Amino acid sequence: MAVFSVFQTTFFLALLSLRTLQSEVLSEPLPWAPESLKVSINSTHQCLHLQWSVHNLAYHQELKMVFQIEISRIKTSNVIWVENYSTTVKGNQLLHWSWESQLPLECAKHFIRMRSAVDDATTPEQRFWSNWSSWEEVDVQNSLGHEPLFVFPKDKLVEEGSNVTICYVSRSQQNNISCYLEGVRMQGQQLDPNVSMFNLHNVAFIRETGTNIYCKVDRGDDIKGIVLFVSKILEEPKDFSCETRDFQTLSCTWDPGRDTGLLKQLPQSYTLFESFSGKKTLCKHKGWCNWQVAPESQEMYNFTLTAENYLRKRSVHILFNLTHRVHPMAPFNVLFKDVSVTNATMTWKVHSTGNYYTLLCQVELYGEGKVIQKHNVSVKVNGELVLSGLEPDTEYSAQVRCANANHFWKWSEWTRQNFTTVEAAPSEAPDVWRNVKSVQGYCVVTLFWKPLSRLQANGEILFYNIVVEDLDRPSGLQLLSVPAPANRTELTLDQRAYQIHVTANNSVGTSPASVLVVSGDPGDEEVEEERVKGTEDGFSLSWKPQPGNITGYIVEWCDRPRDPLCDLQWKHLGPNTTSTVISSDAFRPGVRYNFRIYGISTEMVPYLLEKKTGYSQELAPSDNPRVVMSNLTSHSFTLSWKDYSTESQPSFIRGYHVYLKSKAGQCHPGSEKAVLSDDSVCCKYKIDDPKQKMFVVGNLQPESFYEFLVTPYSAVGEGPHGAFTKVTTPDEYSPMLIRIILPMIFCILLIMILCYLKSQWMKEKCYPDIPDPYKSSVLSLIKSKENPRLTIMNIKDCVPDTIEVVNKHEGTGKSPTEPEAAKPTYLYLLPAEESYSGPGPCICFENFTYNQAASDSASCGHVPVPTKAPSQLGLLTSSENLLTALEKNCMNSLEEIPAGESSLNYVSQVASPVSGDKSSLPTNPPQPELCSEYKMQMAIPLGLAAPSSSGSSSLSSITLLDEGEHYH
Amino acid sequence: MKVLAAGVVPLLLVLHWKHGAGSPLPITPVNATCATRHPCHSNLMNQIRNQLAQLNGSANALFILYYTAQGEPFPNNLDKLCGPNVTDFPPFHANSTEKTRLVELYRIIAYLGASLGNITRDQKVLNPNALSLHSKLNATADIMRGLLSNVLCRLCSKYHVAHVDVAYGPDTSGKDVFQKKKLGCQLLGKYKQVIAVVAQAF
Repeated sequence: MAVFSVFQTTFFLALLSLRTLQSEVLSEPLPWAPESLKVSINSTHQCLHLQWSVHNLAYHQELKMVFQIEISRIKTSNVIWVENYSTTVKGNQLLHWSWESQLPLECAKHFIRMRSAVDDATTPEQRFWSNWSSWEEVDVQNSLGHEPLFVFPKDKLVEEGSNVTICYVSRSQQNNISCYLEGVRMQGQQLDPNVSMFNLHNVAFIRETGTNIYCKVDRGDDIKGIVLFVSKILEEPKDFSCETRDFQTLSCTWDPGRDTGLLKQLPQSYTLFESFSGKKTLCKHKGWCNWQVAPESQEMYNFTLTAENYLRKRSVHILFNLTHRVHPMAPFNVLFKDVSVTNATMTWKVHSTGNYYTLLCQVELYGEGKVIQKHNVSVKVNGELVLSGLEPDTEYSAQVRCANANHFWKWSEWTRQNFTTVEAAPSEAPDVWRNVKSVQGYCVVTLFWKPLSRLQANGEILFYNIVVEDLDRPSGLQLLSVPAPANRTELTLDQRAYQIHVTANNSVGTSPASVLVVSGDPGDEEVEEERVKGTEDGFSLSWKPQPGNITGYIVEWCDRPRDPLCDLQWKHLGPNTTSTVISSDAFRPGVRYNFRIYGISTEMVPYLLEKKTGYSQELAPSDNPRVVMSNLTSHSFTLSWKDYSTESQPSFIRGYHVYLKSKAGQCHPGSEKAVLSDDSVCCKYKIDDPKQKMFVVGNLQPESFYEFLVTPYSAVGEGPHGAFTKVTTPDEYSPMLIRIILPMIFCILLIMILCYLKSQWMKEKCYPDIPDPYKSSVLSLIKSKENPRLTIMNIKDCVPDTIEVVNKHEGTGKSPTEPEAAKPTYLYLLPAEESYSGPGPCICFENFTYNQAASDSASCGHVPVPTKAPSQLGLLTSSENLLTALEKNCMNSLEEIPAGESSLNYVSQVASPVSGDKSSLPTNPPQPELCSEYKMQMAIPLGLAAPSSSGSSSLSSITLLDEGEHYH
Repeated sequence: MKVLAAGVVPLLLVLHWKHGAGSPLPITPVNATCATRHPCHSNLMNQIRNQLAQLNGSANALFILYYTAQGEPFPNNLDKLCGPNVTDFPPFHANSTEKTRLVELYRIIAYLGASLGNITRDQKVLNPNALSLHSKLNATADIMRGLLSNVLCRLCSKYHVAHVDVAYGPDTSGKDVFQKKKLGCQLLGKYKQVIAVVAQAF
């Protein structure tokens, strides 16, 4: 153990002495140590540039050396970078080395030192490191100036995704400084009391104009900042290729990729370098560049495309043989010759590329927008190709392109040219159908035909020829020519059978004829109509196969049945077909389509087999019928909608619903409650027969308010619940009253009219001016009950003696003749002896009641007497009528006539005999004129007569000249 | 000939200053004869007033357009970044005589014109897509050129002032981008402030 300890001590001592020896050796300056170390800075690039030389290196000497460089930050002990730089050193050569600092150099002091070692095989003995050079200090802060705050680095340009360190230098330690990036405060790291740095990782491109980063002193009035420019990473050019079209110029193209987003002053540039010729060109454009082909027929080319910007450089290479990169120019002078109905010869030319090359040309023939033929042709200079299998009168388009046949690189552009084949006669007969109507004993035949397709027409159809042949008279032919593009014509034929031939004609010839026979009787009405259900795909129709010889069937319908022209359509079907699907783009939901299926006999006579009708899609009725209400009573009313057409509805009408709203809300049998969309409740009557267009709403209450609505319904729903019609039932008695009152009013009116018309007759009958005692019922009453002996005085028994007319003129001096002059009054005197037997001479006073002129004179008793009155007065002697008239007139006027003014005194000289012989009474006494009263003319016994005051008063105006009875 | 060399040439230099002309014109002798290339407009002062009113009317819009185009922090730190802290800006005394005011106006417009040239140049690089800003800067510079010519005409015709010493703002070509933006903003802030006073004074 002791021996081991001694050995160990000895070993450590030896090792220590060896170490000391080595240190002494190394401390000696080596002959090739670095010297004259100078450090400079590039603030823009944040670089330290070192420059030094090698001590004692002979002028001609070359040594491979290693220089170890140490960089410290802030203080020498804080070494942040160590790098061995190997290079071959020549005598007296100045060596350079650069280092880019992540931290802006302005923000911290940097210290640099280096040492060297020979790394040359020729001097293996010199493999020790030289001494370190002294530390070189780089301190930029001193040269910044005296501003309170600085931010670094200025205007730094970095690529997207890189890391950047920002720092600020403050002149005052008391300042509280905050820094922001795009308005967001950055968290920094303090390097020393005046300096802080901020590490930005993975910076993103924000905008071309850079990102403002700024620092500000809290409570200060200044802001310092920098702009950081972030560019997108320069991409490697893609799809770089070169080609020639004329063996004079190489056109090189590439995809530059995305823009780096740098300012216009710092864009990326593209350089093209060809290694065989050693030529280089700076491309003016971003994506392409032209290169002049060398005249000395250089075949091989090796291009390097270099994309370069401020931060990065990228290159791509291509090596190619010029003849393999030939992109021919488009063929030209494409022509067509010998164009016939079905053939054409196409010729073209290609640009000369030297006689050494053969071109492969591709020809494509287009018809109706589609490629219908493709051909490949080898071409030296001129190309030619025969195109066959073409259709007549058809426009075609042919295009040709070419490529290098030996080394295909690219097709040229297409060169296209159109041509049209010549016409031929139409190949098919037109598809013809007819519509026959009987008008006034004639058949009006409307012929329809479908235009021939392009393939069938073989040219432009100019006109259609129609030949009408009378089958009964074969010699009777009628020719009609209809110019295109008409597709119909109308013929008026008599009720015989005709065969109609229709042909289409173009400039070259005539088509085969389409034949149709029209018989006099269409016979369409006897076939019943069936309903069919359509779908979105159309109507599926089927019919019974017809026995006998049938050449085919035709289904006929109208695309627009609601239009007057209806757009007649038809479809030909073979004789073995008994079903088909009719579809049309014109079919619309809610439109009823009628189909007729005809069979075509061998004689080409069509006859109707079946009728079908249906909707492609039924829709709910859109309209309600217009309802007329009638027979309104207190308990019922009648609704009718006779003019509602079920045929023109958007679905098959199955019936009607009658909705009745009432306040009572009770529904009678035959109706059911229904809740409408507005939640109102009403009674619903259902009519299942669409033909029933009348309905009596009964069981109503008098004087009640009702609302009703009639709406049709079909399989898909009912009509709209629009406005209800309001109705109020009348009360129960009004009709009865009307029945009574109206006839009554009518009768009264009738009576009044009759009375008016027969007023004279009525007057005479009911209330004559001079009543006829013989006709008086009073007499009969008196006679029968009281005095059967009572008789009526006969006028014949009264013989007037004298009429004294007393004229007394007072005051006025008015001549009594004056009124006569105005209104002649006359006086007739009948002889007393003369018996009165009907109309005849009688004594009459004018009835002033009916004489307005006399009335105006206001003098009933004023009877003017003409100057020649005596002769006339004589007549008065025997006139009873006169007496009566005088009495009558005077009785009515006595009170109005002043006494003594004028008076007519009647002096009866004969007492009226009382005769009990009733038969002696005149049967037809003269009619009294005015103021007649029965009592005045009746001879009443004294015992019965009761003198009245009026009677006595009237006596003053009448002077009785003789004793006897006197009457008023 | 000497007259021409002493008077007209400096005038031509003043009338045709270019963007970025950083050094002041040489001071010409006081006794230089006044001459103008064209007769002055009869209603010159009105024209000057109108031009000033035009500049005053568009100054604020130009200022807003400018600081908006610079991005943050400019729009929200106008007092710190765009305050009118232009130390060497020519003075203007509104209460002085018309001659003095015209001379001072001449110096101001010459200063502003040169500075606007620098700003326009910088903005075309820094904000190549801010076309409305470029347009407004160019329009303002155009009016200033006309105003400068009119003022000189007035000085020459009425006061026989043939030459005015002028000073220009700092050349921003060597400055960093942030500093260019800031200087431009300060200058336009100052311009907005000064032109209001000057327009009022005339």
